[in-house]
Formats: sequence, C-alpha cells, structure tokens
Amino acid sequence: MAKTGNKRYVMLLDSRKCIDCKACVVACKAENDVPLGVFRNWINAERSGAFPRLRASFDPEQCHHCENPSCVRVCPTGASFQRADGIVLVTEADCIGCKYCMIACPYGARFFNEETRVVDKCTFCAHRVDRGETPACVETCPSRVRTFGDLADPKSPLHALLESRRYRILRPQTGNGPQLYYLL
Amino acid sequence: MDRRLFMQMVGAGGLAASSIACPKFFGRAKAAPELPAPLGVPTTCELCPNKCSVLAVVRKGRIHKLNPNPENPKSRGMLCARGNAAIQQVYDPDRLKQPLIRAGARGEGKWKPVSWDEAFDFAAGKLAATKEKYGPQGTLWSSTEGFQEVFFKNLGMSFGSPNILRHPSLCLASVNLAYSMTFGTVPSFDLLNSKYVIMAGANRFESIITPDTMDLIGGVMERKAKFVYLDPRFTVTASKADEWYPIKPGTDMAFILAMIHVIIAEDRCDKTFLDQWTLGFDQLAAHVVPYTPEWAAAETGIPAKEILRIAREFADAGHRAVFYAGRRSSWYQNDFQMRRAQAILNTLVGNWDREGGMVPNRKIEKGEFMFLPWDDPAAPRVDEVGKNFPLTSAKDGVYLPLRENVLKGEPYPVKAWMIYKQDPMNAVPDQGKTLKMIEGMDFVGVVDIAMSDTAWYADVVFPESHYLERTDPIEVMPGIWPAAVLRQQVVKPIHDTKPMLEIAQGLAKRLGLSDFFDYTIDQWVAAEAKDLPVENGLEHMKKHGVVGFSEPKYGTTRNAVFRFVTKSGKIEIFSERLAEAGHDPLPVYASPAQPPQGKFRMILGRKATMTHAALANLPWLHEHNPENDLWINADEAARMGIRTGDLVQVTSTAGTVKIKARATEEIRSDCVFMLHGFGKKSKWLRSVYNVGAADSILLETAWDKVSGNAAMHETFVHVVKV
Amino acid sequence: MHEPVWEFLIVNYLFLGGLSAGIFFVSAFCTWLQTEGRPAYPRIARAGALLAPWPVSLGSLLLVFDLGKWWRFWKLFVVFRWESPMSIGSWLLLVFTGITLVNLYAWLTEEERNRLFAILPAKLPFRQRLPDLHTDLGAWKRNLAMLGFPFAIGVGIYTGVLLGAVQARPFWNTNLVAQLFLFSALSTGTAALILVRSLAKGPKDLAEFKFLYTLDICLITLEFFIVLPYLIHGQLSVLAVREALGLILGGPFTLTFWVLFMGTGLLLPLAIELWEFRPVLLGRGALHISQNLALAAAGLVIFGGYVLRYVFVFAGQASGLR
Repeated sequence: MAKTGNKRYVMLLDSRKCIDCKACVVACKAENDVPLGVFRNWINAERSGAFPRLRASFDPEQCHHCENPSCVRVCPTGASFQRADGIVLVTEADCIGCKYCMIACPYGARFFNEETRVVDKCTFCAHRVDRGETPACVETCPSRVRTFGDLADPKSPLHALLESRRYRILRPQTGNGPQLYYLL
Repeated sequence: MDRRLFMQMVGAGGLAASSIACPKFFGRAKAAPELPAPLGVPTTCELCPNKCSVLAVVRKGRIHKLNPNPENPKSRGMLCARGNAAIQQVYDPDRLKQPLIRAGARGEGKWKPVSWDEAFDFAAGKLAATKEKYGPQGTLWSSTEGFQEVFFKNLGMSFGSPNILRHPSLCLASVNLAYSMTFGTVPSFDLLNSKYVIMAGANRFESIITPDTMDLIGGVMERKAKFVYLDPRFTVTASKADEWYPIKPGTDMAFILAMIHVIIAEDRCDKTFLDQWTLGFDQLAAHVVPYTPEWAAAETGIPAKEILRIAREFADAGHRAVFYAGRRSSWYQNDFQMRRAQAILNTLVGNWDREGGMVPNRKIEKGEFMFLPWDDPAAPRVDEVGKNFPLTSAKDGVYLPLRENVLKGEPYPVKAWMIYKQDPMNAVPDQGKTLKMIEGMDFVGVVDIAMSDTAWYADVVFPESHYLERTDPIEVMPGIWPAAVLRQQVVKPIHDTKPMLEIAQGLAKRLGLSDFFDYTIDQWVAAEAKDLPVENGLEHMKKHGVVGFSEPKYGTTRNAVFRFVTKSGKIEIFSERLAEAGHDPLPVYASPAQPPQGKFRMILGRKATMTHAALANLPWLHEHNPENDLWINADEAARMGIRTGDLVQVTSTAGTVKIKARATEEIRSDCVFMLHGFGKKSKWLRSVYNVGAADSILLETAWDKVSGNAAMHETFVHVVKV
Repeated sequence: MHEPVWEFLIVNYLFLGGLSAGIFFVSAFCTWLQTEGRPAYPRIARAGALLAPWPVSLGSLLLVFDLGKWWRFWKLFVVFRWESPMSIGSWLLLVFTGITLVNLYAWLTEEERNRLFAILPAKLPFRQRLPDLHTDLGAWKRNLAMLGFPFAIGVGIYTGVLLGAVQARPFWNTNLVAQLFLFSALSTGTAALILVRSLAKGPKDLAEFKFLYTLDICLITLEFFIVLPYLIHGQLSVLAVREALGLILGGPFTLTFWVLFMGTGLLLPLAIELWEFRPVLLGRGALHISQNLALAAAGLVIFGGYVLRYVFVFAGQASGLR
C-alpha cells in the first residue's frame, strides 16, 4: 500500500463548460474496453424552463471514489477495495459478481460487465495515473471541464480552484464523502 | 493500522478465515503488473475538417486508443467523441474489405468481390469508353476534402476532365466568398480574446470547430465574454449563451443591418480604421437608413430595444467585438449577401487584424512535390461556373447547378462519375435527383472506406485504406494558430485495401497516365517536409506529428504597405466587383418567404457525436444517437395530435419520409428539424439501415445567387401523423 | 434509479432462506418444549426437521448461479468481513444449512438411516469410515435445536439486514426491515408446517393445530405491528424516505403491497385463523380445524411472504437518494 504514498486523487468538474459532446464517454470506452450499453461515465442532462426562458445543464458523472465508500464496505469477498491514494477499484480475480456493491452505490456508478462477468466502474484510469498521465476523460475533454489531481499535494492547482470557486458534491447525505467536486 | 485487518484479527473468534485473510490482504498489496508506457504513433484524425493531432496507441498489433497530441495549437490538446471512435471504423466488420463490382441492378446490393486488377481494368475500361464517346469532359470527378483528395483530383485533371467538383458549394462557399470579396481573404475569429461575441446559427458547441469551440467556452465561462446567440432552435450553444433569441429563420440580415444602422447613426464606428483601410462607408451610411431596429424587430421577432442595446454593447466592445462568420453557410438563397452584411458590421468596429477580432490566417510554409504537369482541359466545365457564378471559386464548382445541367444533358453529356470520400445520396439535397443522375450514368465508381449509400448504388467500389492504415501528404491548417500536420501509418491495412494514391496509380496505369503518378507517398511527404519551419522537418513530423505556431500575430496587415486582395486594394464595404457582376454591391434585404399554412420550414444542424452523414453507424457513437427524429414545436404538435415518439409523414416537393416525432419547446413553431445521417439504404451500415429518415430525400434544390452555394433551409414541408 | 440489479432469483432466495429459518425455528421450538422428557410436538418437530434443509439449499443454489461467476462462490468462505452483511450472511447460511442437515439426520428413524446408507454409492471415499457415522443422533435433538436457534434467527434477520444496511436505497434503509423479514420468515415457516400437518395422513392432532395456529396468529400480528410503524414512521421521516414509500403509497407497487401482501398475505389468513380460533378466543365451544381453511390460510401466508420479498427487492431498487 505504501507505494501509492500519501496521495488523495480527486476530480473537479466545471460543468458550466460541459457541452455534452460525449468525448469523455467515448474516450473512456476506448481506453478501458467498456462494453456497449454500459458506461463507466455519463453526462446528466437536465432541461428546464418554458419557452423562451429555456435552460439546459450538463453534469458529467462517474464513480466518486468516496472517502467512505459503501461499495467497499458491503463487498463480501473484499474484491472491492480502496487504494491509499483514494482510488476505489475492483480486483477482477476476487469478484464473484454478487452485485451487492452495485445496489449499495448511491450514484449508480457500478455496472455488471457481461464480457468479464464481474462488476466494473470508473477507475480514475489508475493505470494511466500510475504512469503519470491523467485519466482519459480528463485528457480528451474539448471544453476543459475536468481537473484531476492530488488534493494532498499542497502545490496542486486544485487548491486554487477550490478556494476561488464555490462547489458542491452530490448526495452528501450518505456521509460517503464523494470526491467529485462540482464547481459552481 | 488498517481497520479491516484489525477487525479481521479481533472478530469471529479465530475463525480460520481470518488467518486465510491475512495473506490475501498482503497479497493484494502487490501491484498489478506494470503496463508498458504507451507507444503513441503521432498522426492526424480524418473524421472531420478540424484534423486534430492524435497519438495512436497500439497493443499487440491492434489500435487500442487515440490520445490527443498536446503539441497541436489548433486542436488545443483535445480529441472529441468522433476522433476517439475512429478506431471502430478500422475494425468495423461491415467495412469494405476488397474491391467489389456490382452483380445485380444498381442499389440491389449484390456484389462480386474481385481482385484489384479486375476492378482497375473494369473502371479504366469504362472511363476510357466514356472518353472515347463523350470526351474526357464526359467524366465527373467529385470528392470531399481529405489529405489524399489531391491524388483523386489529379487523376481527374490528368485524365483531361474539367469537371472537378468538391464539397464547398454544399457547405461554406457563400461565407468564404463574402469575406473574400470584402477583405480579400477569409479570416479566423480570435474568440480566445474576444469580449463580445454574436453568433447566428453557428452552433459551435455541437458543431465543433477548433479552436473556436474551445475558445468560446473558455471565453464565455472563464473570461466572462458576453455571448449573444441567434438560432430558431434552443441548441446546446443557446443554453450556454448569455442571451438567446429564437430568431425567425432567414432574417439574420435584418438583424445585422439594423445593428449597422444603430452603430452608424449613433456614431459608434472606428472612424480612424474606416478612413484608413476601407472603401464605401458613405454609401453604406446612406444604404442603411431605412434599416431601423423597429423595422428589424418586425422582421426577426427580436424586440427593437434589445437590438438597439446589443448594437451599442457590440460597438462598445470595439475591436474585441465579433459577429462570427460561421462555417456551414448553405442556408438561404441570399446567404452570400447576409455574410457580406456580417463582414461589413465587423468592419465598422475595426476588429480587423486585432486581438479579439478577425485575424487573417497565417499559413505554415511547406515544400511542394514536383510532379509532371498536364495540359489544361480542352472543354469548359459542365456547370458553366465561369458564366453563371463568375465570382465563385471555379476549381470547386457549384454542385447543385452542375447536377441540373447533367440531368438536362447540357451543355454536353456527362456519363461517368467517379466519387471519392463523398456520399452525394445523403450530402446533396433532393436524393431523388441524385438517383436520377446516377441512373443516367454509364458508369459510377466510388472510393470509400465503408459502404455508403452512394457506394451501394455504384458499379464498382474501391476500398480505401483507413486513415490509421496509411501515410498521407502533409497538410497545413491555416489559422490564428496554424499547424502543419502529418498523417502516418499506424497499422498496416488489415484488409485488402489501398490508399487513394495507389488507387489512382492503378487506374492511371491503365489509362496511360502513369507518368503523372510516378512517385511514392514517402517521396511526396519528404518533399513537403523539407521546407517546414523546423529543423529536420521529416524527422520532426514523424516524431511529433505536428508543427505549429502557438503565439498569434496581430496587425500584420495594418501597415501602409499592405494591399488587400480586392479590386481597390482596400477593405471593400461597397463592392464594385459585385455591381459589375450584376449583384447588389451592398446587401439588400428581402423578407424570406414564409411557409404556407400547415407547412414548416425545414432547418438543418449538427451534433457533436456525428460528422454529417457518415458516422451514425459506429457503435460508440450510435449508442448516443440511435435514431433521428423530427423536432416539432410542442404547441404545433399538440394542435396536430402528435406526441413524442409518434410516427409522422413528412413531405416536400422533392420526396417524402416517415420519421418519429419529438414534440419540444426547443424549436420555433414555424420550423422543423432533423439530424443528418440516418435512414440509410445501404445494408452494410447495419445500425442505420432503414432507421430514422434521410433529410436529403426532402430537401429541395436551391442555391445562393452569387456563390452557387446550396441553400438547404429553403424547403417547406408538410407534416402529418401517420 | 435504474434497472433493477437483483431480480427474481434473489427474491426466491430471500423467501426460501426465510422459509427454512422459520421451519427450523418452529421445529426446534417444538423440540425444545418438552413434556415428560420428550419433545412436546414430535410430529411437527420431525416434519420441520425433514423439511428445513431443502428450501434454503435450493435458495442457496439459485443464489450461487445468480452470481456473475458462480464457480467463484467459494471466495465467500475464505474471508470474513464483518462490515459486509453479505459476508456475515454467507457464513450464517453455511453453518445454518449444515445444522439443518445434521438435524434432519438426527430425526431419521433407524429404518430410514439404513436405507440412506444403503443407497450411498460404494465408491465414496472413506466408505469404510461411514459406519462410524451410522449412529443414532436422537439424543442430540434438543442440543441441535438449541444450537440452531440463533442461526435460524440469524438467517431470518440477516436477509433483512442485507437490505437494511444499504443507505442508498431509502426504501430499505430502516432497522425495521430486519424485524419484518424475521417475522415473515417465522410465520411462513409456521404456515409451511400447518400445510404439511394438514396434508399428513391420519387423524389430526388438535393440540398440534392449536399450537401452530396460536404461533401463527402471534407471528402475523407481530408482523403487522412492524409494517405499521415502518409505514407511519417512514411517512414522518426525511424526504428521501417519503418519496421511497410513495412507491407503495400510490406508486407502481401499491396494489401489490396492499392487496396481495397486506390483504391476502396478512389480514386474510389472520382472519381465517382467528375465525377458526373463535372457540378459544370466546372461551366456549369446541375447536374444529377445517383442513381446507388450514390449507387456505397457510397457503396465503406463504404467498404473502413471497410477495413481501418481491415488493421489497424491486421497490427498494427503484428508490434512491437525490
């Protein structure tokens, strides 16, 4: 565990800038071999108002890699686990596909992968992050909606953003401590 | 100590499991085997005109991922959904895998797989026979932009045909001509630094243009630029704009003329700039007197006080105010003049060649491969562009007038049609006429990577290698941040396909034109790379894929020596050349025809997950867009008893289709909208074969008077529940 | 709120697991209650002992095959994760099923034991050691009953905890769900034994039925008085819970819950049993147990138990947080 050090990976989302172009969704599919019909990440589109005062907003979402992930708690085999740097993962070899974690996730972030026959979800592209790259969704975004980084690093640009902008998290009432910050 | 480990040791009273769990726990601490760093082959995307730089990651011989190449200043280190999905084109099981010759009737879908020799012999034989009977002008060569397009065009030209036809007259011919006639060149817009942006119909957040889309979102959201957007539809762009007006279709010119009126009447122009660099201000001032905000309000449906306020705010922003030109301008029959009005409005605030304004494009020098030149064609073009559209670009032709002539057999018959990277059945209005044109041909040959509808109706289909499977000429993307990009082979062709150059060479050999194609792509690229503004050009391009300028240059034309490429040498607000050609030298407004009772104007637009008619079939894109539907205003739908999901029949004078309806508040009551790229006839595009409807069946033939650009928003349709 | 992840296989398992727990509980209760040093209701006890292992075994089999990788089910038994209700439950289930099988064996007659050992294949490993197993465990019946009690209760409760522990599903996230499932398990178990004893050949032992009916009436009443606070308190709770309850208060599961569960699954069988019990309640008249009414009441309770699991599994997954 020590090899991941004292890091805490989080993602900031400036959804005002999201144009629902699906670049992040397709990039994730390609990077992570996600089957058709299921998604590791998605865009929540909300349309409201009445003509001509119409409104539309787009909020990207994926696994929130929570501080206290309920999915890790409920896993009967320990396949679902959290790295010291906060990234929540599923050890494919240990997952029996009971899908309890899918139900326990307040965000519906997990899905059953019919090809690998285990539970799957966003991994913050841990394999890329460990190489010093950013997750595929972050890298590809045309509008620069996403900022990914290590909150435990005092030099991280995340701090300036979190200090200068207000933000919200989704479904805080569970106390899971989600780590996707939606800048307002 | 980890909580889990602690509890395992304490709880369950020494169950065997806890002792088994310990090694499991430590076992998991061992990291997954290190993945090797990706080898990203630098190349260039081909899925739309933006040509973003990508790094292709190959794993075990298979392309796994396309990552954006951050070194391209124009694409700004991003890759959109389509770019990411390109991989699926390579491994598409329905992709064209070898040459095919038609075995049944045209459009029947019966194909005989043949060898390249057989396909070349067949096509060359037909082309030669056509030349024999009708002269080389009896052949038509139409294509859409692409890095290997040059070889296709060269084949047509060396064959001796004058009829080289490209896509601009289905797209941006009118806007380009309008700005050219005004400024002598078509500028780009420095949205990165603008403070006030007006866009009419240019749905930049769904119709991606680099770097405009990214700079606009950065401008609006980060730099707090004011963004005013006019569109009959509430698009994604409308949702991000500070102000959105559902403008009456076809009345943009009224809005612009009223703005010009206000700016001149209230003396808010950049006088110094106008005096020094422009011609025709006085005529303009007189011309716009009747075009008041009140008059424009009646035309556009936008309140006069808003037009007035916007005009003032626009002028106040000075050289950082832009009225964005847009790109696809194949809208109305007066489109050229409307874009001229835009150009003139931009001139008034003096935003020419300044930060935040319109900036003339910079190019990047590259070498030229010297190939053997051919004689100019003997015959004139069949579209008589020089006669009917003397101002427009002759080398691209005018698509719809050309088709009219070919259907009439005037001024001479055209009997063979070669098509590259183009799907006229879906790209060109009035599919019925396109089908007739195909019918009238003795020979139709298509070069493509997938079985488009047009390929489905061809006599021979040549499968081109996918962009990821080939090396292409270096292309320069001009702009404020220009880039020169290389496309190089990432994987060898996985099927029996060839790049266009080799297809041209195969045909050339049989047509006695080999001398004109006596080179390899590597020789071509090497010659181009030699003169790039970077040391060891070729090596650089192979390693980096791109060379670009990331520092913009402003004001290069604002000097005493510079001469604009116009008749007067200045920026022409008033255009004598237009007058001489019999067109309005200043834009004159005429109210657009309104759809008669019970009909709607059909308008078109794009979506960020598709490129025109081509990509709806790719699974990663298709799952976001499984079918197109007809947007119809919610009140109108209710009046007609139509609910979302109901099947409706849509009819114009050109044809009729059935499509599902979407009752929405996001469109005006006088128009309907549908996406492009569905309702395909080709069975080898299985996700969109017979799914949804093709808009080209409905669109009527109309074109802009001055540029010959297709006018695709002039069709009125009747809608009825099925 | 997306498509349900757990569907009928899980509903079946929860129902069957509860059923076995209830059957074993009643059987064990009848064993533990002694008159003159012998089980008070031996026929009920034996019927329950013979029946108990099978629903839970079938349910567990269904559960295993519902897994994404069913052959990996053994991974449940190399760790114990106290935070995971499913981990605790898997172990409980394992031990409980084991106890029910041993208990079944303890209740076999000598003749039945002989037959059992006769049909065991000669090629089994340790065949020569089998005679050691061919013992009469009859003396252990009461011990097995007492050993099995907590595991039966555990199995009955944990199916509720499994759901109740999920914060993300406000329809489930209440501590009453565990109780509800427990009492439903016990009452369906009782009903199963009423069914079995009603169908048994020979004259009916009125004392047996009086015992079973008393038990069932109490359990159903207790169940009712758990559902009521679940609804009332839920309606007085936070928005997420109120919205979740909406699924059975006007939403898509309303009719199923009120008519099929509350109506035909709880109140109707309760009414039937109370009706049969008139003489006992009113203190006069002789007690008669009609076989048809017994079958009807028992059948409805079992049906109701299934509907309860169905509503909870599906409605729960349709509920969520905002």
